[in-house]
Amino acid sequence: MSTQIALDTFVAETGGWVAAQLEACTRCGICAEACHFYQATGNPDFAPVWKIEVLRKAYEQRMTPGGKLKTAFHIEKKIDDQELLDWSKIVYEACTVCNKCSMACPMGIDLGPLIHNVRTGLAAAGLVPADLAAAVQKQLDEGSPLGVTDDVFADRIDWVQDDWDVDIPIDKEGSDTMVVFSSIEIMKFPENLADIARILNTAGENWTLSSKGREVVNFGFYEGSPEHTALFLQKLVDAATELKVKKIVVTECGHAYDALRWTAANLIDVPKELEITHIVALMDKFVSEGKIKLKKGAFDGSGGIAFHDACKIQRRGGHIEEPRRLLNILAPESFRELTPNKEQAICCGGGGGVIAIKEADPYRFAVFGLKIDQAKVAGADTVVMACSNCRLQFLDGIQHYGSELKIKGLSNMVAEAMEGAN
Amino acid sequence: MASFTLTPVEKGIMRCRHTGELSHEDVQTLASFLHDYRGKLLIDLTDITGEECGRHIHQFAPMMPTAAIFGAELDPGVLDFPDSYYTHQVKLFDTEAEALAWLREQ
Repeated sequence: MSTQIALDTFVAETGGWVAAQLEACTRCGICAEACHFYQATGNPDFAPVWKIEVLRKAYEQRMTPGGKLKTAFHIEKKIDDQELLDWSKIVYEACTVCNKCSMACPMGIDLGPLIHNVRTGLAAAGLVPADLAAAVQKQLDEGSPLGVTDDVFADRIDWVQDDWDVDIPIDKEGSDTMVVFSSIEIMKFPENLADIARILNTAGENWTLSSKGREVVNFGFYEGSPEHTALFLQKLVDAATELKVKKIVVTECGHAYDALRWTAANLIDVPKELEITHIVALMDKFVSEGKIKLKKGAFDGSGGIAFHDACKIQRRGGHIEEPRRLLNILAPESFRELTPNKEQAICCGGGGGVIAIKEADPYRFAVFGLKIDQAKVAGADTVVMACSNCRLQFLDGIQHYGSELKIKGLSNMVAEAMEGAN
Repeated sequence: MASFTLTPVEKGIMRCRHTGELSHEDVQTLASFLHDYRGKLLIDLTDITGEECGRHIHQFAPMMPTAAIFGAELDPGVLDFPDSYYTHQVKLFDTEAEALAWLREQ
């Protein structure tokens, strides 16, 4: 039964673009070498070409004469429930949808969205791993996958305002900018709230948080359900419309940025005049416009500092130079690049919902070994990032490996080095 | 002077002893410590009252590593925080011995 639903969804998702991508794949396997899960484990099931095989099979068996003949004459067996369960493990537990594979594909196939389509079929069939499904249900029931209910949000903001001594406006109608944090920042990294508020206040930004669109995380996007993704996105767009803001700034969350910046426009009506940007771009803009001044070399002298490029913010989002410009002010002597970097960077291993799935721990930790190696080679004592999900994965990873690597959020560094902060 | 002290108990366990009302600076320093610290935590509240520290324990709990708290009467509700993949177990105990024994088992 679930197989039927998944196959119907695969077929429904297979328009001309998907069919063209599947037909173009020569199955050369070069994408495997780009996949951090394959690199770290050597498991051929984790090769991106294999991750989309179920989609290709469904397309071929349902839509091509050759595929129909193959199943009719039992040359190829039809996809069954067990096979789909196996793919569920592969595409949710051993894929962060980081899309590095698409950078390697000689045919220019955009594998990430195809893997997302596989997730969509599996989500429709109810084959999302239990931990991820529970977080989605929590977001549906409570408005937050990580428990940031109305009361928790209000309580947390009060605490940050009091103890970090910073003004955080909420529901201020007529603000230019609505800022949306991730639940991880709200619950685990509250200093992000304080530091980003301080940066915005110092720059003179007319901004607000929204109690209705209080967090940006979108577990519907992780599971691959367009219905849930749209539902969670709509809350944010409605909140922005209600507050009459011109811009939404997503703070340190990668997947949420991808969902709101690009996917939203394909799923719901997003007002054309509503700008959506990332805090990294805004901080860089503030510096270039002289709205905030940073103490040059504020972080020099305490070892090598490298930047971890987050898949959805840097590779997908294109915010590659902004963090580097900031770090070249904050630590011009100590800054060094991890290799590979920028759009070719290796994912931390915790994105795409993987970090939320307990059974995926062995894979995400195996992948994180690559990040430790990168930091060692670069001579980095500290790794900086602009994604709180990556940061959580780094903190778990260094604990797992007993590494002495230090982890920092870019916004925290900017706030710390800011002169004349309000 | 800070209203807390951090001293090692044994390998992998640190004692965080609160000696008075936390200032804003203390709260920020503790938040930073909780990000960097990778062991377990024995939280000693013998020198303060539950009223003084209840709010902070409640707010810090989701950020804590595996932690055992003892030494002050706390409303168990302060440890009501959303359970998720990023949180660790934080429990209240009547005595230091009980707290430490539990921590060693974790």
